Amino acid sequence: MRAGPRPLAVALWLFVASTSICLLLYLGIAVQGAWFTSARTQHWTPAQMAVARGTGQLRPEGLQLTSPDASDATLVSVVTSLRSSQYPVIAWQSIGVPDSVEVALLWHNDYEPTRVFNRRLAVESGRIQPFTLEGDPDWNGTITGLAIGFKGAYTQPIVIVGATAKTMSAAEVLSDRAREWFTFEPWTGSSINLIIGGADVQELPMPFIFAVIIGVAALLYALLARWCPQWVGPAGALIVGGLFAAGWFALDARLQWNLARQASVTAQTYAGKSWRERHLAAEDGMVFAFIEKVRAKLPPPPARVFMVADEHYFRDRAAYHLYPYNVYFSPWVNAMPPASALRPGDYVVVFQRRGVQFNAATQSLRWEGQPPVQAELLLVEGGAAMFKVL
Amino acid sequence: MESVQIVVSVALPWLLGVAVLAALGWPRRDEGSSPWLAVGYGYPAGAILLTLWMRVLSVAGVGFSRASIALPLLAIIAGTVWWAWRTRYLSVPSADALRIVITPAALPRWQRMIWIVLTAWIALRFALVAAEIAWRPLYPWDAWVQWATKARVWYELGRIAPFGTPEQWLAGTPGLYFDASPGYPGTMPLLQVWTCVMIGQWDDSAMNWPWLALLIALTLAVYGVLRGEKVAPLTAMIGAYLVATLPLLDVHAALAGYADLPQAVVYTLAALATYRWCLRRDARDAIVALALACACPLIKNPGLVWALTLLPAVVVTLLPRHGLRALATGATIAIVVAFVLARTQWTVLGYPLRLDFAPAWRELVRTYFLMGNWNLLWYGLIVLWVVAARRLFKPPLLPLSVTVATGLAFLFIVFSITEAAVWMADLTTANRATLHLAPLLITSGMLIWNQLNQSASTADLAPDPA
Repeated sequence: MRAGPRPLAVALWLFVASTSICLLLYLGIAVQGAWFTSARTQHWTPAQMAVARGTGQLRPEGLQLTSPDASDATLVSVVTSLRSSQYPVIAWQSIGVPDSVEVALLWHNDYEPTRVFNRRLAVESGRIQPFTLEGDPDWNGTITGLAIGFKGAYTQPIVIVGATAKTMSAAEVLSDRAREWFTFEPWTGSSINLIIGGADVQELPMPFIFAVIIGVAALLYALLARWCPQWVGPAGALIVGGLFAAGWFALDARLQWNLARQASVTAQTYAGKSWRERHLAAEDGMVFAFIEKVRAKLPPPPARVFMVADEHYFRDRAAYHLYPYNVYFSPWVNAMPPASALRPGDYVVVFQRRGVQFNAATQSLRWEGQPPVQAELLLVEGGAAMFKVL
Repeated sequence: MESVQIVVSVALPWLLGVAVLAALGWPRRDEGSSPWLAVGYGYPAGAILLTLWMRVLSVAGVGFSRASIALPLLAIIAGTVWWAWRTRYLSVPSADALRIVITPAALPRWQRMIWIVLTAWIALRFALVAAEIAWRPLYPWDAWVQWATKARVWYELGRIAPFGTPEQWLAGTPGLYFDASPGYPGTMPLLQVWTCVMIGQWDDSAMNWPWLALLIALTLAVYGVLRGEKVAPLTAMIGAYLVATLPLLDVHAALAGYADLPQAVVYTLAALATYRWCLRRDARDAIVALALACACPLIKNPGLVWALTLLPAVVVTLLPRHGLRALATGATIAIVVAFVLARTQWTVLGYPLRLDFAPAWRELVRTYFLMGNWNLLWYGLIVLWVVAARRLFKPPLLPLSVTVATGLAFLFIVFSITEAAVWMADLTTANRATLHLAPLLITSGMLIWNQLNQSASTADLAPDPA
């Protein structure tokens, strides 16, 4: 009697078949233009770009646009020589584009060199989305210049990291997806709430495609078990369960790799340091250093200390470094305490907070809407100071 | 030297928990899973007992020190171990018995290989988490704005001091401290205080080792519970692996300081002990379940509601014929009451209720299915629930399914009619609230899977009617 197929072998070829089907379907949707091309992706760095309108300067992180011109317009251009038929997608890499600003892609070609064409671009999470030009009647001939235009005011700088003309061939689409999935995701303030799993913006999230591949494999199994059971054997639950576990493991391997990279970064910043040195090396090292000086001026705990700062992060973080002193701070809004709550012997620590004034001659400390408080200046450094209420 | 002190700070509550459970005779020795269960449940149980002892010391006016905290607990450990020895619950295991427990010898070679690879993989994960805990100063926001604030004050004072509202503080109430959430429970800050007491100085990196210990304990306990339900060793190991590598759970261990991971651990272990009681009616399971359920509100305020979600499982167990109907009636009344309360702008556990039938479902789908927070958890669960729909609400899965359904209903209410619905839009709350239930979801998924597999095997073995 002939033994049935081995579950592992069945799972393997189901996985290969399902992955192939999903891959072909996805490429069928995602590839624009030729599947295979000899043209290579073209990329322009900020150094190759010119700010035609508005102001900007070259920085290590990219071309930083600081303000628009008088008509609220900003324009960044780059000289190109592209065969439009080979490059159906243009992608501008950017950070910090506010929703209130309109963004457009501009270009001109050798076919109508005096005319400038433009198309509105979408922005998501501060990043300009790639734009498809395949089938666009004005995207023809040789593209001799590209530009990105912003209409509207912005207070925080916009950073242009680069621009890319994409061939959108099968190889490029696959390499883009792989790059998105395996982009290093370092710890940020939001890591405790969510993990993206690679690049901030992803065309095809990794958990979704793995779920689809496993789903299609299960479907294939069900069909074959119905019509050709001798091909797949009876161990359906084991095979589909095994595929699920393997899919989980694959996604988990990405996380393990990311954690290993993060551990390396963490080690470079903090390993071998004392508790104090680690805090000085942390993101808020300057706050910690200032609070150390404050603590040197304070009597032993539990003196009452009011901590104020404009920035939410600095205010809360400085308060944390002040414990076990009896600290008061506004954890949610940028608010000063009522002057009536201050008592002689209390301390007020001000860190980069506008609207707090100290008159040395009269030794009076005052802030918006409140009567002055008699106080002594104990420490001043940059935009920070410490007072003792008299 | 500090490494030794850190090891002792974790080992003492762990031993305490294992010893107390042994004195209780839990789990029964005839279960092959007993060492895994005892070790897995040991740390959370011991950690809670330790913080309760610290509360007693504080009320009695005895300052926190190594001697005041550790010596009485060591005496309790010695006493309970002696008792467990005397009642023959504890004995010196043979080397063979230990080997069989650690790596199941009866496994086929390829399964044994996978079992060992998964163990090594989990160990590597824990090592990476440990690196973050060892080196990184306290990092996530709430950790230093509302949890470690208490730990710092209590460590320096050597006792628990009250935290109050802004109004109380500004009014000059003597001895009152303030932070962003003065009403939050003190269990996790007390564990941080204990670690600092042991190492002899304030260190907001080292004080977070309990988070890793809790994650390890959860992994061991899930393996033990699955083995206790006759799940095959490799399948149980896969279940433990899925829990240990749940992405958001690992992030909460690596960036320790929030109380969500401890809440998830205590709630999951309480729910699984309840499930064991529902199946076995062993009073010792009930004692463990009750103790851990009572500990839920000591971790986070919503722990009270999480503890209450365990009651329906008890109801369907005690009322096997009418339990489900009674629950359906109760749920209907609860929904009506919730909507009435929402209309009256009540605040429950600090969460203002509001009627909102259009919460950010799109964001929820994104975070559950498209981002890296949950790996393939939700895809797998939905398929399992559909495939096993007919079995979910029948024994032996019934009590666990009822607990999971109640937990999901609680999350639905949180996402629908509280302020949390607003926070869901920026995903600050949805994942952390879900985290409390996630390890239980995985464990229940593995038990459902086991049931399906057992049924398939039984069907394969059944005689061919032809």
